[in-house]
Formats: sequence, structure tokens, C-alpha cells
Amino acid sequence: MGNVVLGSYWSKLRRAEFCDGVPTTHPLSTTGLKRRFRPTISHSELRHVCRPARQFFFFVFVVSAMEGRCAVETWAEFGSSGTACTPWLKVGFGTDVLLCTGVDEVYVYSPREGKLTAVIEGPGPVTDLVESPDQQCLYVACASGVYRVSSRLLGSRAGRSPADASPRAGALKLSPESLAFAEEGVLSLLLVGSVLLTLCQRDSSWILTLYRSSDLERLRSVRVPLAVPSETGRRRRPLLTCVQPSAGGVRLEPILFKLLFGIDAALAKSPVVLCGLPDGRLCFLPLRPAGSRLGVLHSLEQPVVFVGASGVADAGRGLARCLVAVGEQGRVVLIESEGGGDRAAFVEGCVPGPVRCGCVDKKRLYYSTGSDLLALHLPEGSPEREGPSVEKSRVTPAALRSPSSLNVCRVLALAEPTCNAAGQVELLGLSARGQLQRITLPVDSEDAGWPKAPSTRGGRSVGDLLSAIGDVGERAAVLKANVKSKNQILRRLNQVLNISFLLAAGTDGEEREKPIGCRATASWSRLLEEDSLTLTCVLDNSSPYVLERGWTLSVAASPLSGPPAAGGQSSSAHFSFPFHSLHPGETLEVSLPLAAAGESCFPVTVSCSLIFSLAGLLGEEAAVLPGLQPACVSLPLNTLTVDWLHALRVTSPAHGKAPSQSSNTSDAVQAFLRLRRLSCGGGAEVAGERERHAASVRVSAASLRDAPALRGCEADAQGGVRSPPRNVGLSLMEWLLSEALGGVTAVRRGDRSALRCSVVHGRDPSGHPVKLTASEVDVAEQAGGREETLTAVEVRVESSSVAAVCGLHHAVLTRVQAALQTAPGRAAPEKRTQGSGLRKALHRAERLLQQIQQSRISGAVGVGVSTGQACQSLLSVYQELRENPLLVI
Amino acid sequence: MHQPLSLSDKWIQENNALVNKWEEQEGGGDTLTRNQNHTRLIWCSSEFHKLLRKIQGIPPIADHTQLELTVVFNACLCLIAQSQFLEAESLLTQATERVPQMTEDGPFASDPPVFWKIALKSVGNTALNPCVMYLLCLQWAIWLATCKLQTIQELQNELLSVFETLSSGVWDEERSASRRMSSDIPLPVMDQRRLIELLQICTFIAQGAERLSEGRSSEALAGLQSASSLPAPRTLISYTHFLSGSCLAHMNRPQMALQCYRMALETDSQCVCALYQSMLIYRQHGNTQAEIQALRLLHSTLMLPSATEASPAGTHLLPSSLLLQSQSLSSLLSVPSALSVLHSLALKCVLHERVAEGVEYYLDLLAALHTEDQHGVHAGGPSLPKLPELYLQAGAALLMARRPADCMALCDEIITTTLELLPKKVVLKEPEECEGETRAACAEVEDGVWMLLWVGAAYLLQGHCHTHLRDWEQAVTTYTRCINLLVKVRFKKRGCQPQIPSADMVGMQGTNLCILQRLKGLSLAGRGISFTQTDQLREGLRDLQLSIQALPEGKCAGLWCGEVLWRLGRKREAVACWEKTWSFTPHFSVQSLSLYLQEPQSGPLLDSTELRCRIEELCPTLSG
Repeated sequence: MGNVVLGSYWSKLRRAEFCDGVPTTHPLSTTGLKRRFRPTISHSELRHVCRPARQFFFFVFVVSAMEGRCAVETWAEFGSSGTACTPWLKVGFGTDVLLCTGVDEVYVYSPREGKLTAVIEGPGPVTDLVESPDQQCLYVACASGVYRVSSRLLGSRAGRSPADASPRAGALKLSPESLAFAEEGVLSLLLVGSVLLTLCQRDSSWILTLYRSSDLERLRSVRVPLAVPSETGRRRRPLLTCVQPSAGGVRLEPILFKLLFGIDAALAKSPVVLCGLPDGRLCFLPLRPAGSRLGVLHSLEQPVVFVGASGVADAGRGLARCLVAVGEQGRVVLIESEGGGDRAAFVEGCVPGPVRCGCVDKKRLYYSTGSDLLALHLPEGSPEREGPSVEKSRVTPAALRSPSSLNVCRVLALAEPTCNAAGQVELLGLSARGQLQRITLPVDSEDAGWPKAPSTRGGRSVGDLLSAIGDVGERAAVLKANVKSKNQILRRLNQVLNISFLLAAGTDGEEREKPIGCRATASWSRLLEEDSLTLTCVLDNSSPYVLERGWTLSVAASPLSGPPAAGGQSSSAHFSFPFHSLHPGETLEVSLPLAAAGESCFPVTVSCSLIFSLAGLLGEEAAVLPGLQPACVSLPLNTLTVDWLHALRVTSPAHGKAPSQSSNTSDAVQAFLRLRRLSCGGGAEVAGERERHAASVRVSAASLRDAPALRGCEADAQGGVRSPPRNVGLSLMEWLLSEALGGVTAVRRGDRSALRCSVVHGRDPSGHPVKLTASEVDVAEQAGGREETLTAVEVRVESSSVAAVCGLHHAVLTRVQAALQTAPGRAAPEKRTQGSGLRKALHRAERLLQQIQQSRISGAVGVGVSTGQACQSLLSVYQELRENPLLVI
Repeated sequence: MHQPLSLSDKWIQENNALVNKWEEQEGGGDTLTRNQNHTRLIWCSSEFHKLLRKIQGIPPIADHTQLELTVVFNACLCLIAQSQFLEAESLLTQATERVPQMTEDGPFASDPPVFWKIALKSVGNTALNPCVMYLLCLQWAIWLATCKLQTIQELQNELLSVFETLSSGVWDEERSASRRMSSDIPLPVMDQRRLIELLQICTFIAQGAERLSEGRSSEALAGLQSASSLPAPRTLISYTHFLSGSCLAHMNRPQMALQCYRMALETDSQCVCALYQSMLIYRQHGNTQAEIQALRLLHSTLMLPSATEASPAGTHLLPSSLLLQSQSLSSLLSVPSALSVLHSLALKCVLHERVAEGVEYYLDLLAALHTEDQHGVHAGGPSLPKLPELYLQAGAALLMARRPADCMALCDEIITTTLELLPKKVVLKEPEECEGETRAACAEVEDGVWMLLWVGAAYLLQGHCHTHLRDWEQAVTTYTRCINLLVKVRFKKRGCQPQIPSADMVGMQGTNLCILQRLKGLSLAGRGISFTQTDQLREGLRDLQLSIQALPEGKCAGLWCGEVLWRLGRKREAVACWEKTWSFTPHFSVQSLSLYLQEPQSGPLLDSTELRCRIEELCPTLSG
């Protein structure tokens, strides 16, 4: 996860490099308003840099509030981890920003270079990190222990350009060699002078351990029993910070220091470690004199999220006048000396929580609730309170009640505030989306109070306000557009759901005609000197819903049987046709090449389905959502079958005969003779002539006459006039060749009269000549001891190609079956048995079975007969099966 | 032909591989940290448990029992080493119940001693006997570690027989010969003979400590002395000597006790508790030089880097500290921290004429307190006095060593740190008076009083320094500051208004009031003497008289008051004053006071013999 984010980060960074330092204005955002108010915005203007989806632009955005305005500049984006770990960021190596979003990596970002200079990758979530005072090394706390990383090592990584090689070149992996000491579950680190402190939680207590940083020898450990049994769930990080009585670090006013931490610590000039625990206790441990005990300063009764020192009593020495601690639910305690140094006052107040993080500068406490960043003005000077000596004043000072909003949302971690050259306070924040932001606060008007603007700057102020209004308008427009697009998406989603339900309803149980379906026509066309069978699919929307943008018609054509393609994959072809919109009653026509001439893998099953992709619906927004899989809804429509009859190219009798008879002399007698030979010889060969194969289907004429499919066809053919029964064979042939079966119609160009003929010549897809004959025959039946004759129609397929004969026979059989199925149920008495025929057929079948088995055995054993022989015998069996068929009644 | 291994052979191999791996790591394990060691132990334990689960997956078969019991032994030992005694105990009972001979005997007793008696009886004299006995040893270790000495007492006979049987090692002989050679014998993870020896002596030690704390010293002594000849690690032997010494000290035989302590130290030079106890005996008998010597030794021993105990091979797994966890023993073995010893040493030296040495120790102590290197600091034991108190003591010692400049620097430190915290007015109350108020408020007042007294004492010491340097004006200024501070304190008696305290109100020595009066007396005396030196005799006389009022036993003030009177020509009064001073006997020893509350030795002194000469000259009749 981290890798992905980082990878994308590098690429973004490269794009952003051209505009680092001074944020450039993206052309799109320079609206008229912006240009109009541009002159009123000073250079030290408040900026909000925001990143539209997919692209990494900077544009200036001014946020306005009553009290002041705040510029937010996004430096980089690291992605949010969403883990239970608290993200944090620190400033180290001078101005570099070290941050962790709660994953295993710590990013080192250099604002000067405007890029990520290094990544430290730990073996587990990195909980904390401290920098040695000489900036020579970093101590990194991971789950299993504390690692020491030399900053030289980081420097060498930083030297590499992010553009070169892999984006992970900058990652420094913490290896076991760099393990300083092993300690399970260190949550916080602090380095005070030569002492490195770690804080971790064991079963029933917090353990603060002191190590000597020079040789990492364990000096001492202090145990603090847990006040409440450890809760499960989000593990909060305890805070460690340090205050000094006089030199180095955060210095506290001596009097307050003595009052809080005692005379011993003051005499020893000891640094004092402050520790804010998730159970609300604020503990302190003076490092000197040796053997000092840990004391509890206060309890906030809610997880401590921030501890710091603030307020400067006298600017010259830079001593902090009070300690501030903030609890998660918004309880704030100010600790300061009171009554001229008699005692320490603990002033408690409450701000609207929840508080996610905080920081202080000289006068203000900044804290983020996640939805807003607020500044709380800390009271200056000792608040005058007389009366009885109350140690904790429950009276909330007015100041604690009125935090002012800075209008920056989603800040999860803050670093120490700094002051820039223009006197503005700058905060570094890490947002919930993993963005590193610099938040520049307006110059605080020293003389006039915080809420009031000085009158001298009135003119400027009006301009500022106007510009702010303009920007708010702009923002509102953006939001409006956003809402509109969301509505649009919802409406479309509704349509999609309706269609899904509609199509899903048809799949269960009975075959109901779906309101949305596909038809197809197959036709031969000549493309690039090559004949190919083209299938034209028509998507028919007869539903009341509109198929909108985002839908795709997907057609998969797969041969029912065919030679397995190389690699064992089925040789199916998929075609997708995205379309814009299909209103009710409209149709969509698409064409796809089904097969080229010579490829005879019929019948082909064509499955149609409708696919809707969510990505298409969300459009650009889907791209910014990390980890969103391209989700699709796939709704199957109907399945079409293109068989041999569809693929048959009918030629006019004369034309059709030409190729086959070019070698033999055309003679009716000869033809007749040949036919006879074939019918009785069962594939016997005529010398000098290519081997011809034949198969036939016999259908009782009576049943055919009743079949509505055929009747309809007849009616069509006769122009709607019911004529006396024609030749049944002729109409069957016509029906076979022209009717749309399985939703597919074969389009045959040329002479339609060629079809109205009981003998049809044609060519199969591979170009072999094929002859189809429909003739009426009388079949003698032995029923109940007496001879009976039945009129039947025999459809005979003849071709030199075995494949064509098989395919066409199969196709004819399938169609006749389908036609008869649609016929109304015949009365039982009419059913006749083909007693003798059946018996004969049974005998024959048994014999053939034996023959097949024999050939299979010999084929399997591989002895006795050659492959050719086996084929031959199988072929003869096949032909015998096809010859003398049973009558279909 | 190569035969496939049987299941039990495979298990034996697995067990032995684990044992060998453990021992291998242990061999080079000195460099490992405690943490790593622990991780390794957890791993080992889980591996043995996995193996055990496999073995126990089939119903108990007589052929496998020995293997199974050995793996149980190993797994259980790992659990005990991790202080998981309950788990270990249940594992032991379950495993024993699976022994085939046991199952024949029907229901098991829930009472552990009875259970084990039955277990031993049912295995009888079979080959399984040692295996079950070893498991009993582990149970013994658990009882010992959880201080169930009563249970051990109940089973004493059985345990003794187990000990005798196993340590005579009739079965062990042939096994140990073939040990490591053949792979068909499951190995134990710890040498079983060592385990038994360890258990034996630890039992003696724990029982001895228990009896000693119950006051049955002679009974304890007998057991301990028999234990001292057992084969065991040095540390444990030295414990037996030490405990014998403690028994003897209880029985009022200090010399014999000292002998025992010496033996303990000779056995194990790290046995600091013996050193500490001998020091206490010397202190008790007033042998200051020996006490100082012992303190010095004690301090240097404590400052040594804690030597890694060279425990004999095979006992890494079960350190004796795990088995000796009784409260009474640990209180006997406790020793104050190195800093506290250093403080005692410094104070003793200064009080007993070894000022220069004492000053060095004080400076060492302050330096140690100022480093973050907290070596040798541990919680428990008497805590050190507060830091300002130590500063003042060190300052006084420095002044005694004639280093006024250093003393002044220390006092300055206290004054600058504390001055702004001083309460504006302080009302001292009788201890009973405090009951009514909240403890917190009382503590706050107490803190204020202490700070005031510290600052007062610091001013006093500075005054002494100026006196020492013969800078009389500065001395007067400093003493005046001290006096001004001290007179702010009012004393509240029950039912009375707060008032300025006087000498007759001082009830007990060591109270705040006593210290206050002493400071007042000393500072007034100091200022009086300084005035006298600058020939402001009247002011001098007034201060000295006030000083005598505040602190009647003040020697300097009395003598100098006489001297001033003498110079003023009031010779008879002077003589009376001197006589009174000499005749005054303090009702407590000066030595018990803090160093800085003692009368300065460095100021202008009056020679008593010279004064007596003057008295004789004045009124020969009186003396004659």
C-alpha cells in the first residue's frame, strides 16, 4: 500500500517540481474574480493549494474568516494509511519535515528542495522518532525496538535525484544491524541531553525507561501503574516532552518550574520529562537528582493529546510562562504561577472537542478537531484572582471559551509553529488524506486585540473582504457543480439498477422474452479479397428505460466444437461495443466478423451481454479513489447460434453446378445413376470421382404440415393467401434456408428463386460444393401386422466434405426438431409405431456399436489397424448411421 | 537396510535437537541481553509445547511414557523460567495423571501433597520412578518460587527421599555414560542433578529466612549451618553464611555474627548485604573507624558494575533468584542505594574528625546527583535527604575544611533558587494542631517552613563564612538577613494566638521549632560577635543576650556575652555569664544535629582557660 502511494507520489512530485517554492496559479483557476481582486492581495497572501483529481496543480485559494485568513499550501501528498496508529510529523535536520502517516515508513521531506529526500522503512509501524541534538543520527522506534539511523546514510540517499532509476531508490530499510536496543512496543521516544527515554505499555503499567545515548546502556526504568485497565481498540500514543529550568530546549519560568517540580529539581537544574498518558494523567519525572521519583501533576480524565509550554513572560530570555495540556474531549488545562509565585494555578477550561492534535506558540494554542483548525488565545499575564486559595480554579476563564476558527479542515497532526520572515506564524500539518500542508496564519495585530482589525488597515481590509467574497462565490459554484454531478450520478445509477432488475428477472425459471435482447443476421461479404461471414447484431431496447452512457454491449462468439487452439484456450472471440444511449424502442446495430472463409467451426454460439462499469459512472472521481477496483455489472442477454445452414452459400443451380461439374460431364442420367449408387452403396466410391458423403433426415409430411413455423412461412410465401397445400418438401427447404432460427437470419443475396427449389446447391464456408435435396418419399410401415405407407419428406445432404455433411445434417435436424416442438400436440391415435423400422434400426445400431468399439479398441491398443483404417471404419459407421434414418413424426 | 524411524524415535530426536540448540545458545549466551534471552525462552517453550501436544495426541502407551515425561519436564521448566507457575502446575498434574500406572489407581486426590504421595507410590520401583520424581522436583520448584514453604514442610520426607534417591544417582550412572552418545534417550533441558541441588539449598535458605523473621533464630541457624556445606553456587552458599550471621546478631552474639558475615564475603565478594549488616553492627557498638571503613567498602562494591553472576552451566534457565522470592528474605538482603551509603560515609567522616575526606565524599555525592547517569540508583531503602539539606551539609563541611568561598557558592545556589518561593508569613503549629486541617494544606505549610529554614541556614552559613574571612560588615548584613527571615515565623499553640516563639516552647529536638530557635540563636550570636569585632559593643551585647534567650545552650553566645560585658566594664556580670555558660549541660548530643546547625569552629574564639585566668585575677577570693 505504502509502496503504491509512494510511487504515485514520486510521479506527482516530478510534475510538481517546476512550480515548487512559489505556488503558481493554474490557468483554469484564474477566473475573472481572481484577476479582479489580484491587486489587493499582497505577496504574503494567504493561499490554499488544492489538488484536483488526477492532476497535480497548484492554485491559489483564499479562505476567509471573520478574524483572519489562513493560507494552506499543500507541499506533498503521502496518502492516508487508515491504520489505528496516530500519524505524526516533526521538524528535523534544520528544516526538513519528518512524517509518518501511521504505516511502516517515515518520509523525509525537504521544503527547501521541495521534494521527498528520503524514506525510512521500518520493519513495522514506526511509532516515534527523535533526532540527536547534533543532527548526526535519528532514533526510530518500531514495534520491536529502537533503531539508530545515521543521518549521513540518509544524506547519501537524499543526494540521489528522485527522477532517476526506481522511485524506491530513496528508501532506507531499517536492518537488524542498526537496532540500537530491542524493546517491545515502544510508543514514544524522547532525547534529553545524553539520556534517551522510551515509553511503552506492558500489561498493567506504563514503563518509562532511560538509556544512556552514548552506549545505549539501560540506566533505569520507572513504572507507572495503569489507572484504568487498558482498553482495546485504537492504541493512543502517550506524549513525551521535556522542559528545562534554564538552558536548552523549552525553558519554563523558574518560579513555575520550582512550584511544579520541586526545589530539588530546580537546584539540580534538571530537565523534567513531562508525560501525557492516554488515561489523562500528566506525569513528570525530573532527571536529576539521581533517583527522583515520578510524580503526577494533574489528571485531565481524558486522553492527553497535547502537552506544551507557552506564553513568554519576558521576551528577552524566552521563558515559557505556562504549561498547557489538552485532552481529547477538549479539556484544556493551563498551569501557571499565581499570586506572585505563591502557588501554581491549574486553570481548567473546555473547548469543543474532539481534539485530534495541537501545538502552541507564544500566545496561542492551535488545535485541530479534524473538521477545523482553531486557535485559542492564551491569557496574557497572570490572571488576577483573589479570594480563597483554591488550588484548581473551576472557573473557566473567558479566553478558554472562545477559540477562533482558522478554517482548515482535516488536520491530523501538527508540528511546532514557526515564525517566518514576515512575522507570520506558520504551522505544518498533516491532513487526513496524508497531505503535508503549510498553514500560514495572518500577522497577528499586536496592539489591537485579536478579533479587531486595526483601523489603519481598513482600506486593505475592504479589499481583502471583497476578494474573500469572490473566492467564497467561486467555492460555492464549485460545490454546486459538485452536488449537481452527484445527483446526475445517482439518477444514472437508478436507471442502471432498474435495468439490472429487469434483466435479472428473466433469468429465473421460464424462458420469458426479455425486453432487451439481441437479434442477428449472418451474411457473407467480401472484404480484402477474402470472403467472410459477418454477423450483424441488433440490440433491441423494448424496455421503458434508457440505456445510458456507461453501458457496453459485449458479444462473445465461441464455436460449439472446434479444434482446440494452441495453449488449450477456447478459440472464442469477444467484442465490446460501448454506446452512448439507447432510448426505449431504439435499436443498436453492430457488425462483427464471425468467420473467414475456410474456417469452418460451426455452429458458433454467440452470447450477448450488457456490461455497466462503475468507473464510467464516476468518471474522473474514480481515479482519485485509491484501491477502487474497476467494478462492473454484467447482465447476460440472450444466446444466438449460427449454424451451418446460416453459413451456407447458396448458388443458383446452374452456377452452383458449374464448379462441381467442370470435371465431369453433366448428364441427368449420370447424375441419377450416381445418386442411386450413393443411396444404396453407402459411400461407395466411383472411380475418378471424389468421394462424396451424404446424410438424410426424414420427417413425416403430416407433422410438417401442422408445424406453425412452416405454415407461417408458407403464408408469407403466398402473400398471405392460404393456398392449398403445396409441396411440403419445397416449403421445408425454403424454410430451412431462410427462416430466422435461434434469432439469426441468413441473408442470401442473389436469386431467391434458387431457394424455391427442391434441390439447392451451395457451398460450405470452405468452398466445398454442397447439395441439399428435399423430396417426398413413401415409407412402408409395418404396423399391427399390416403394411402401411407414410408420406415423409426426406432432406438429403450431399457433399464431398464430411464436415459440411455433418454440420448441415446437424443443423437440419436441430431445426426440424425446433419446428416440430412448436407444433401443437398431436392426437395420440395418430401416433404410429415404426415397429419393423425400429427393430431394424436397433439391430443396426448394435452392430455399429460393436464396430465402433472394435475400432476404438484397436485404436487404443495401437496394433492391428493403421490410423487411416480406423478413420475409415469410423466414417463408414457414421455414414451408415446417417443413411436410412428413422422417420421423424 | 535403512529402517524408517519410528514415531517415538522421531520425537526423541526432535526433543534432543531442541535441547542441544538451547544449550548451544546458552554456551555463547553471555553477550545476549536479557530481552533476547527472554524471547529465546518463549520460543523454546512453545516448541516444547508443540512437541508435547503431538506426543499427547495419542493415548498413553507404556513405551512412550518416559519420553513423554521428559518432554513434560522440559516444557514445564520453560514455563517456570517464565514465572508461569499456574500453567506449569496444571501441566505437571495432567502429565502425571496420564502415566499408565496412575490411571490404574483410579481417582486422583485434589490436594497436591496427597496427589504426589499417591503418584510416587503407584510408580513404585519401576523405571518410571525417576521420571515422576523429576516432575515432583519441578513441583517443588514451583512451591519454592511461590513461597509455599508449608507444603514443602508437609512433604519433607518424600522430598528428602527423592533427593537422596536422585542424587545418589543409581539410575543415572549408566545413562550419563551413554548420554550424548546415543540418540534414543530423550534429554532434559537442564541438568537434573543440578536442579535437585539447587532446590535443596534454596529450600534451606528460604526456610531459614522465614524462621529468622518469625524470631526462631536458633532453629533457623541449625538448618542454615547444615546447608552451608552443600554443593551449590557461591552466591547461595554466601547467603547461608549471611543468614547465619543475621541469626547470631539476633541472638546478641555480634562477634560471631561478624565472623559469619566475613565468611559470606569471602565466599562471594558481591554479597553486599553482609557488608552492610557488619557496618550496622559496628555502628551499634560505636566502632566509628570500622564503620567508616565498612561504609567505604560498601560504597565501592555498590559502584562496581553489577558483575554478571557466573552461574554454573545448566542453571541459566532457572536462576536462584526465581526460587528465592520470599518477602522476608528480600528484606534481609536489601541494601541502601550507593548514594545513600555515600552520604552516610561523608557525614560520618565529617563528624569524626576526617573533615577533608568527608568534604570529598560530599562533593562526590553532589556530583553524582547532578549527573543523569543514575548508576546504582534503585528504589527502596532509606531515601536521601532533600537536595538543599545536602547542599547545606556540604557547605558546612566545606566551611569546616576552611573553604569559605565554596561554601558561599553553595549557599548562594540555595538562596537564589529558593528565595522567590518563600512564603510571606509562616505559622508553625504543634503537630496535633495539624490534624484538623487537610493533609495537603499542612504539607504545603510544611514545605514553606522547610524552605524558610533552608534559606535561613544558608544565610547563617554565609555569615559564618564572612566571619571566617573577618569581613565583619558583610557578616552583619548576612546575619541580619537571616534574622529578618526567621522572625517572620510565628508559633501557634493550641488556644493561643500565633506569637514569636521563645526557647521555652521548644519541646522536642529535631522539630522545625527546635531548628528555628537554633538558627535564630546562632545567627544572633554571629551578628553579636561581628558587632563586637567592629567595636559596636552595645549592639553586640543586645544580640548576644537575645541569642542566649533563643538558645540558652549556645556556648559561643554565652562566652562572648561575658566578654562584651567585661569590655564594658561589667566584670561581675561577665563572670556570672561565663560561669553559667560553662555550667550549662545540653540535653541532647550536638552530634545528632545537622552539620550546619552546629556552632561554628572557625570564628573568633575565646579561650576558656584564659577566661578562667581573668576570673581568678578579678576575684581570687572566689576561686580560692
